[in-house]
This record gives sequence, structure tokens and C-alpha cells, in this order.
Amino acid sequence: MKLRIQPRSIAFRLIVAVLAVELVSSILVVVLSFGYERHIHFRAFGVMLHGHADSILGAVQDADDPGDNVMLDQADLHVPPEDIYEVWDQDGHLLGRSSNWQGAGPAAPTHPFGDFSEAKIDGRHYGILRIQGTRTVDPGEPGGGKVHKVTILYGSSTSHVWHSIRETVEFYAAGSLFLLLVTGPLIAWLLHRGLLPLRQLAALASQVSVDSWQLSPPSSARTTPELAPLTQALESVLQRLERSFLKQRAFVSDAAHELKTAVAVQKSSLQLLNMKRRSAQEYQAGLERCLADSLRLEELVASMLTLARAESATSAPGPPPTANLAACIRQAVAQLESVAALRNVHVSLIEPAEGTDAPILVPMAPDDGTLLVSNLLLNALQHSPTASTVELHFSREAQTAVLVIQDHGEGIAAEALPNVFDRFYRGDPSRTRNTGGTGLGLAIAKAIVTKAGGSINIASQPDPNLPGQGTTVTLRLPIDEDEITRPTFSTP
Amino acid sequence: MRVLLVEDEVRLAENLAAALRDGPGFAVDWAEDGLTGDDLAGNACYDLIVLDLMLPGLDGLSVLKRLRARRDPTPVLILTAKEGKDNIVALLNAGADDYLAKPFDLGELIARAKALIRRGKGAAHPTLNVLGLEVNTLEQSVRRQGVLVDLSPTEYRVLEYLIHRPRVIVSKRELLEHLYDYNWEHHSNVIEVHVSNLRKKLDAALPEAEPIIETMRGRGYRLAPGLPSDGPGPASTAEPVR
Repeated sequence: MKLRIQPRSIAFRLIVAVLAVELVSSILVVVLSFGYERHIHFRAFGVMLHGHADSILGAVQDADDPGDNVMLDQADLHVPPEDIYEVWDQDGHLLGRSSNWQGAGPAAPTHPFGDFSEAKIDGRHYGILRIQGTRTVDPGEPGGGKVHKVTILYGSSTSHVWHSIRETVEFYAAGSLFLLLVTGPLIAWLLHRGLLPLRQLAALASQVSVDSWQLSPPSSARTTPELAPLTQALESVLQRLERSFLKQRAFVSDAAHELKTAVAVQKSSLQLLNMKRRSAQEYQAGLERCLADSLRLEELVASMLTLARAESATSAPGPPPTANLAACIRQAVAQLESVAALRNVHVSLIEPAEGTDAPILVPMAPDDGTLLVSNLLLNALQHSPTASTVELHFSREAQTAVLVIQDHGEGIAAEALPNVFDRFYRGDPSRTRNTGGTGLGLAIAKAIVTKAGGSINIASQPDPNLPGQGTTVTLRLPIDEDEITRPTFSTP
Repeated sequence: MRVLLVEDEVRLAENLAAALRDGPGFAVDWAEDGLTGDDLAGNACYDLIVLDLMLPGLDGLSVLKRLRARRDPTPVLILTAKEGKDNIVALLNAGADDYLAKPFDLGELIARAKALIRRGKGAAHPTLNVLGLEVNTLEQSVRRQGVLVDLSPTEYRVLEYLIHRPRVIVSKRELLEHLYDYNWEHHSNVIEVHVSNLRKKLDAALPEAEPIIETMRGRGYRLAPGLPSDGPGPASTAEPVR
């Protein structure tokens, strides 16, 4: 089982991190201060031992005996009474010893400790220095007098040295602990203050709703280097969201209007039929009208679903679909053959002379490709006068497939031109609902083209003096590079 | 009564026109877009305008505003598929008299249309009463002193129009304008025949009374000439002569 660690706040984590660093550094301070203090104190201790040992050496005097011997004059010796010492001559004779010590012998002590040694005597730790000194008895006599080599062992208790080291280290440790305790809340307070712009931004961001998309971040959020990218990202996300939300809302509103109208038609047809007693033929005709109304409603719903699918950014799983545009065009022309015949409009398709067999692949599903071309062609057919021609000119410009659809109808007024791709837009009065369609055909075409990364353009210059100028729709689609090379390689 | 229907949805317009003709027997003119609607409304011969909001050419609100800018008092019933109180408030403030949200009930539309026409002519009750002549606009029945008079649909429509304007001289042209839509050939002698038949039927119900419809030669017709000018009786109030 995986252990889930509860995520903590950034402030908490920062405080813990800072306190941990502080703890580690205070431990380091304690350790270092311990080492340093020990070094300093023991050096002083060593100097002190030397001093005392020297004064012991000074107390080694000429013994008042004829053998030029030396002796230790303890009467003049001023050393701390708790210290221990012993003096030997080179012959191994003990010259003197402090009263509080049984002695260690000239060979002792054994544990070297710096320039002195350590020993445990009567349960107390002593630092013991061993120095060799010479005392010359009667130096003025001929022959230089007698030289006595003496060994002095001088020891002093190390407990007070350790005591002062401990005191110093304890001071540092206590100071560090105090700092730790003080800085904890201080850091918490500083972090609280430092994170204020973030909290302000969060508070403002929480006020954003579907009714008010405006995020007006405080200047602190814009100028803080850490927050500026977040603020910008938030703003741009909100703008995009607002745009798409408004688009969706407009679509829902338009769709509701269209659906309500369609339902109103059906309802009124049925109520009209029911208003008075009618003959069987009248009922039958009324029912046929109701059925036609239902079919139109069905067509409208299907178109809306197609548009929603074409406008959705997500694509189906699997490799991106490709369509052979030439095949799509031929299929669309075949589909609308009957419509063209009904309206007595000739459809002429001009394809590139070479390479009509090689597929020109565009990044869209084949069904979408056919739907795209048939929507555009149907639109052209619907606005063509009888006995006119709709020309489809299909060509290839480098990596772009170009399809130009030209009709010779009444054209589109300049003021209506920018709106023709809008959902449910029905151009000028002459292009009303009785020409059929749901008002979604061009919107669907536009959505398919946009999804494929292409462009669609509509141009028209209606001139009452020159009828039949018509409308030109230019469709440009990127040719899928990888897909076009694959069949080229496979064919020898 | 003549109604102008401005609606771009062909099937809906067909149904509405059929319902208004079949039910209350109105003459209906249909405009498919806002500009035509505005143009037809300019003739000022309508007793009611039924106006869709989303129209090609010129939207319904603009048609309404133009109408009211011309000081045209014709009642306007708005058909809307839009949601929201703001919309409705804006419409009513722009001079609309009533509205119906799509999809609406055909019976409700007819009832509202009748009520608006009635109100537009100053009558509050669907039964109109002038000098013992009672016209029930719901049943489309006519009684004179309690005696039921059987009228043809056209005769009823002539009477319905006249009884809204008692004592006022109504020209043949006005009758023609308000009883027939544009699809009819305008022959004023058609009106003469209908008025003559109507007068005969009404007077036959009460032979000893004065003729209730007076013919003003060369000027038109007048209903209830004997009505006192400031009499308390009528359920409808007279409009000034145009």
C-alpha cells in the first residue's frame, strides 16, 4: 500500500526547511565552538603547566651537602595546592613530590594529550606535563660545576578546563536554541507578509465567475517576478475561457431560437389542424405538412450536432485522419447531381491536368471533406438561377490545395458578406428560409476548414446592372506532407 | 379586421395566417422580411400587426420603432423566441402592446389578437352592444333586441368593423382596406352588396325599428345614426372621424 503524504502548505514547508537549516547550523556552531574552545583552553592550560613546571624547576636548588646534589625547595614553591608534581633527577632519585600524590614514577604517564599527557589519579583527570631541565651546581667552579638533569612532572586537574569549555558550548547551544525559537514565529510572520500578493491574487481570482470574467490583479501581482507569469497565465486563460464561453452561449441562444421556432411551426401546424372538424383529405394533407416540419426539425438537430462536432477541438483517438480531397469533391458532386438537375444548374468540375490519380491528402476525416464540399456546392446551387453553371476549380499550389467554387447567382451584399459564416445567418432578404437549409451549412464548412488549419474566403460584388456576377468561394487547405510522400515512396 | 403578419419562417407564417383567417375571420397580409413589413405597415390599414423579432432585412424591434415614430397607434403583438425579462421590458417600452414566446399556443395567439384589436378600438368586453344590437365577437353571433340574426362570414366582418365605430361615417374604401387582404381584387361594389344584405337581415329581425345602418351617398356608411352623441349606453367609444 502506498503511503500518501498529506501535502502541506508552502509556508509550512518553508518554515520547516528554514528551521531545519537553522538547527543544523546551530549544531555545527556547537560542535565547532566545542573544538575551538577546547583548543584554546588546553593551550592556555599547557602554558599554565609550563609556567608552573618552570617555577618547580626554579625551586630545584643546590642541596647543602658536599656531594653537589640538588634538592627541591618546597618552602618557596607557590603553585596551586590542588596541583600535583614530582621531580626526579637523572639517577632516578625522587627529589620532591606534592603531598597529595603518590607519584607515577619517571616513566609515567602514558597517554599523550597535546604536549602534555592525561592521567586519572584518585578519580580525577589530570593533565600532566613532563619537562626535562638542567640545574648546574656551582657553575663558577673550575670544570663548570656539576650539571644535574632533572625531570619534572607537573599535573593539574583538567576538570575546570572542561568546565569552562562546557560553559561556553552551553552558552552557544542555548543561544542557538533561543534563536531557533525566536526565528520560527518570525519567519512565519514574514512569510505571511511576503505571500500577501499571492493571497490577494487568489482572492481576486476566486471572484471570477461566469457573469464576471474580469480579473483585475493588484499591481503587486504584476510586478512580483514569481507572480507575474501566473497572473499573465490566469488572465489569458480567463480571456480564452470567456471568449469560448460567450461563443457557446451565443450558440445555445441561437440554437434555442431555431429549435423554438421549429417547435412553434410543428405545434401551430397541429393546432391549426385541430381548430375545426376537417375532411379526411385535409387531415391527410395536414399530417403530411406536420411530417415535413418534423423532417426539417430533424435536419436542424443533425446539423447542429455536426457543427458541434466540427467545432470541438478534440479529435478522435488514433492517427490524425486524412482525406483525399479530389475524391471528396467528386463524391460531393455526385451527391448533389439530383439537386443540380432539379434546379437545372450545370456543375462543371475542373481538376489539375496531371496527377489526378495521385491522392491529394488534407488533414480531415473523409466524411468531413465530403460534407465541406457538398455544403459549399449546395449553397452555390441554391443561389444559382436556372440554366446557369456552377464552376468548381480544383488546383494545387505548392503545399496548398485550392478549391474555387463560383456561382452566377445574385451575389451577396457587401454588408452581409462578413456574416455569412455565422451560425443561423441568412443573408439578405432574398436569401430567406424558403431557399431551404438550416442556416448552418456555411458555419459547418467554416468549422471543418478551421479545424484542418485551412482558410475559406467568400467574395461577391453584386451589381444590379450586371446580374450573374455571382459569388466566389475560395477554399485553401494544407496538404498533408507526410502522407503525400508515403505513396510516392511505395510506388517504384 | 385586417392583420399584418411579419414572420420569416414560411411554415409558421402559413399556419398563423390560416389560423387567423379560419378562426376569427381576419384578413391577413404576410410580409416575409422586416423591410416589406415596414413598407406594408406604412399603409396604416391594419387593425393589428403580429411581428416576429428575428427578421432578415430589418429586425422586428426596428420595425416597431419606425412604426411608433410615425405615430401609428396600431396594436403590435410581438412573437419572440428570446429569453429574458430585459428583452420583454425593452420591447414593451419600445411600444409593443403584447408579446408571445415561441412556441406558443395558437388559441392563445388568436385570443390575444382579438383582445388587442378590441382594446385598440376602445372596447373592453368581447360583446359589443349598440342600440339593442349585440355582437358577440367570441361566438361571432349577432342579436338584435335578443333575436338571433344569421349572417354570412363577410356580413359579420362588416358589422364587426362598423360596431367598433358607431356614429362614425366609414367609407367604402376604409371597409375594403380593413376587410380584405392584398390578394383580393378591390371592387367596391362587393362591399355594397354585402352591406345591403347585412342591412336587410338586421332590419328583418326588428321590422318596426329605424334602419340601423345608414348609407351616406358618396361618403360611406354609418352605424346607429340615432345614438345620442353623449349617451351612456355603448360599450364602445367612438373615435374621431379621420
